Amino acid sequence: MTRNAKTGVFLCRCGEQIAPLIDLDALADQVRQDENVAYCDILPYPCLNPGLDAITAAVVDKGLNRLVIAGCESRLMLKKFEKAFESMELLKGQIDMVNLRGHIAASSDLSPEKRAEKGARLIKAAAAEMTALAPTIQQRAFLEGPVMLVGGGAAAWTAAQELARQELDFMMAPDIGDPQTLLDDLHQQYPGEWKNYPRLEKIRQEVLQSPHLTMLPPGELVSLAGVTGDYKLTFSEADGSHRLYKAGAVIACLDCSLSPPAEDFGYDGETVIIQPEFDDYLTQKGIFEDQVVFWVNDYEAGYPEFAQLSALSAWAMARRIRESYPKSQAVILYNEQMELPLTAQDRALARKLGVLWVPYDKTIRPTIQEGFITIGNLNDHVEYDIPWDLIVLSPERGVTGQTLESAKILGLAHKEGRFLTGHHARVRPEQVGREETYMAGSARFPCDLHETLVQGYRAGKKTADLFRKSKAGELFVPRIVCSVDPDKCVSCGLCQELCDCGGIGIEEATGGGLPRVVDPLRCTGGGTCAAACPYKALTLQNNTTEQREARISGLARQMGPDDVIALGCAWGGLPAADNAGKKGLCYDPRVHIMGVPCVGQLDPGIFARAFLDGAPGLILLGCNPEECHHSYGVDHAWSRVNMIKKLLTMCGFDRRRIALAHADLNAPEELVRTINSFVNVVSAVGPIERTPQNISRLESMYDLVSNNPRIRHLLCVTLRQNHETEYKGNLRHALDFDRDFSAAIKEEFLRTRVLKLLQAEKRPLRLNELSSALMEKREKVGEQLWSMVHEGLIHRSHQNHEALFTAG
Amino acid sequence: MITFQIDNHTVQAKAGWTVLETARHYGFEIPTLCHHEAVTPSGACRLCMVELRDGDWSKLVASCIYPVAEGINVHTDTERIRNVRRWILEMLLSECPASKQIQDLAARYGLKQTRFAIENPDEECMLCGLCTRVCEEVVGLAAISTVDRGVHKKVGAPFLRPTEVCVACGCCVTICPTNAMQSRIDAVRRVPATAVTAPTSK
Repeated sequence: MTRNAKTGVFLCRCGEQIAPLIDLDALADQVRQDENVAYCDILPYPCLNPGLDAITAAVVDKGLNRLVIAGCESRLMLKKFEKAFESMELLKGQIDMVNLRGHIAASSDLSPEKRAEKGARLIKAAAAEMTALAPTIQQRAFLEGPVMLVGGGAAAWTAAQELARQELDFMMAPDIGDPQTLLDDLHQQYPGEWKNYPRLEKIRQEVLQSPHLTMLPPGELVSLAGVTGDYKLTFSEADGSHRLYKAGAVIACLDCSLSPPAEDFGYDGETVIIQPEFDDYLTQKGIFEDQVVFWVNDYEAGYPEFAQLSALSAWAMARRIRESYPKSQAVILYNEQMELPLTAQDRALARKLGVLWVPYDKTIRPTIQEGFITIGNLNDHVEYDIPWDLIVLSPERGVTGQTLESAKILGLAHKEGRFLTGHHARVRPEQVGREETYMAGSARFPCDLHETLVQGYRAGKKTADLFRKSKAGELFVPRIVCSVDPDKCVSCGLCQELCDCGGIGIEEATGGGLPRVVDPLRCTGGGTCAAACPYKALTLQNNTTEQREARISGLARQMGPDDVIALGCAWGGLPAADNAGKKGLCYDPRVHIMGVPCVGQLDPGIFARAFLDGAPGLILLGCNPEECHHSYGVDHAWSRVNMIKKLLTMCGFDRRRIALAHADLNAPEELVRTINSFVNVVSAVGPIERTPQNISRLESMYDLVSNNPRIRHLLCVTLRQNHETEYKGNLRHALDFDRDFSAAIKEEFLRTRVLKLLQAEKRPLRLNELSSALMEKREKVGEQLWSMVHEGLIHRSHQNHEALFTAG
Repeated sequence: MITFQIDNHTVQAKAGWTVLETARHYGFEIPTLCHHEAVTPSGACRLCMVELRDGDWSKLVASCIYPVAEGINVHTDTERIRNVRRWILEMLLSECPASKQIQDLAARYGLKQTRFAIENPDEECMLCGLCTRVCEEVVGLAAISTVDRGVHKKVGAPFLRPTEVCVACGCCVTICPTNAMQSRIDAVRRVPATAVTAPTSK
């Protein structure tokens, strides 16, 4: 698509909420003079049908291909505009909004004329971004090949049944296990759920007879390459050989493993057992006249969330022994904090069978002694001893062994929790092509067999839906996703370590996989990978660094001596600012708020550009720590801001000109404080004088952070990574590391400046001339000059026994 | 084009526009509470009532959901309408007495207090449903909905527990006309990790 932008700007009167507060006619006049704006009009309500029709007419009439609508919150309104103009080839990214009402009209006591000037600045910046936008075409994704069911979970069978019924080909991966022994082993994962076993058996029969099934020989999953629609899975077989299969989609069916609890529960495997061992005990020894105590010990073991699940298993087992062995006794002990997961019918049955449910005092931990277990009675606060012949404990649940390995290979192991959840990114559904990784089973979150089977159906159905969409050509890739330029990518894999959305896929190559493809259906458009890439091989389509730079540059050029740019994260700073406007909270009008999807996607070059083009101060309004909706965006932004601070100091400017702040959408009052205090700091520091010396330094700073692979690489490896569940900053020796990093920046900064000076002067320069022009020590400059000559960056010649240096 | 009258001025509209949209486009003021441009109108609050007159006969309709028609005669500010709005606002004053926005609007219609019983003097929510509509239509989720029926109706997540479905985008807080959602969203979005350990100010 063309980059020839024709941007239309539409200003909203919004009844009484914008028009009298902002001088819209003056604003329109200023905007019309901007070279990036092709057309500007004022409408009473652009968002209502009459307004939409008026914009449509203008788009057709003037041939507009970009829109900036200045009215209210883009978070609420943008979708309506995108929907209304989709048929006119104005796709997502080609329409932007400026919040005149919330960020200007309601938030300050400026005069209508002054407000119009501020509004014009923001709109012109938005128009500059539109000019820099090179919209991509609407991409479709296609799924080819069968569906692969991997992992040994029970959910595989219901997923398979659903796929078979939808007439899709599927493969049962070798690690699914032997279907013949399926039922024999099921009690290991789902103890006590006998009533569902026959159901699974029926499903298994149906699946095994399906003509769509391909059963693969036994083996273990070794690697996964490719992207949604075109996966390559490698399995290793018993003899060590590898076998490759292609698949259009993968469904992970993983069950968690159940293991004995810690020693202090007295587990011995013979008289004190866990629920999964109960079946074996029953078949081997039988329970004829025994007193069996089921202790639902999940609260004491530290996972109260599974108490009800364990209690239901215990109930099924207790019922079974009372029904089969009338002379035996069954008691179920549970912590008083647990709500009984029983229906009225269950309770009646428990009374009839004589199964005792005994709650115990949460403050007194039951103690197992030989033949007796002591509990605190709730009614009389007396400790009672309950006799036992067999104690059945709740198992500890976790994802371990081969299941964990498979989960890691499939990109399902996450930073949060002991279990594998669905999609961890907390973004809108439209921001991802696939809402989640198709995964089913109790490894996702411990559940009973019924729930596992339902999850299997659901995963099968969702996969089938994807295939149907793909066949119909309706499976669209989200507009804002990353793409890799293979010519620039060196396959360092840092992007994959930084972003855990699972969007960076592996490309099959000789000697192993290389992380250098993007799965557009899984990318959430967080973009910290693109901002981190040392070689700028990653681009966030329709939301590029180039666009952001154009916008911030457009804004910075119009800044007054103590104006400030604020970049508000769409999940923290921007909603907080919107809500501040909604509540009519006033803050310093010198702040110019610009929304970004995530502060983590901002390349350090964007910050440097703001200072280079005249912004006296820049503040990032990110989310609260640990609340990034993408992958650690706010932590990554911290590292980048920190680097700019170092460089500002090296340039001789105040490092307080840039800051990272945290904002919560529900605390607009706090945001007001944040903004006011930062603006005060910047206005006390004053503007950066626009002397040639200063500008040259800022240019070098921009050059360094945008284009120096060494510094970008060093920065990238300091960013918080996926495996760091806690970010303390002391994972290495913090100060030593920072000193090394600072030294590297210093070195590269000087080299950038030397090179810049030589290129500008276009004549051979002596060492003395260079050091005095750069105002740096002679030895320091000399040291860098020799190594630059050595590396072939500059040339050296001699005249009268003195070295002369020219740009290479 | 469809031609009709609003307050004795002739206006033109296209099929599919509503009376409210047309009136606002032409600069006639009609107060609304449950209407927001981002979501489909629902006609819940009835504050946007207008009078359609035809000779001696007239009827009241909710302008946000009433489609334009050829030759109708719309009046936006008659005594009958003012009376209806006063009644609505008086009831809203008893339902959500703590809302500043409702109080201001009521004051514009000359109301300072309500004759009806006030159940909860701190209530701000008037159950207009904008938050649930924006969550479903704009965000594309349905993390919150109205729970229970009749006088027990309230806004919240299923079982009134924090939900994983909520992505904490804050659209419901921004769209809420009475700021009621500000105190409710924390019970919907997952409790932030930092909030668990931080001592509460109260």
